[in-house]
Amino acid sequence: MLAQVRIQYEDFSQDEEINALKSASKRMGGIGTFLGCARDFSEGRDVSEISFDAYGSMALSEMNKLRSDAIEKFDLLDARIVHRIGTVKGGDNIVFIAAGAERRVAALEACRWMIDELKQRVPIWKKEITPQGDAWVVPHP
Amino acid sequence: MIRVLFFGPVAERIGANSIQVEYRQGMLLQELRDELAAFHSRAFEIVSLVALNGEHVRDMALPLADNSEVVFMSKFSGG
Repeated sequence: MLAQVRIQYEDFSQDEEINALKSASKRMGGIGTFLGCARDFSEGRDVSEISFDAYGSMALSEMNKLRSDAIEKFDLLDARIVHRIGTVKGGDNIVFIAAGAERRVAALEACRWMIDELKQRVPIWKKEITPQGDAWVVPHP
Repeated sequence: MIRVLFFGPVAERIGANSIQVEYRQGMLLQELRDELAAFHSRAFEIVSLVALNGEHVRDMALPLADNSEVVFMSKFSGG
């Protein structure tokens, strides 16, 4: 069984993550998911690849705290967070978040909250590689 | 020794992923920042977050212990 919170180079399967989430409880009536993907165009430039750097130990620790905080705040039955590092191309998966709750509102709100918090709390940086050169991404609100 | 780590855009501006700084009794986090910023001003222009031993810290008056791990970080852009 894959861990509920992971940082990994390889791609992930949304189906496997959702099945793992569902296996946590049969009381789960709603699952909210967020899939973040690599865009091949940004700030008016073509983007050929995106590479990630991470303070791995702290990033994993913060993602685990984030999951625990979300479970407590939204009374979730379970939650999963997977973030890729390394280099990805346009269209590739970057991050997957899933929140399972008895009702849909908690699942959807928790999912939105987790991706917003992840961007603030988890030490991961991405660099866009373009024909005009490389540039670290300035975070958007 | 204090182990100082850099990632992403800060590491690129410093030109290194880590450096070692000699520990001094009573050394404060702010003093470490000031010393490094004096040599790496371009990198520290974008530093807005600090971690001490893997935890976010805001209090720059914190004293450092020998063998601490400090990370000076720019805003995150994961996700």
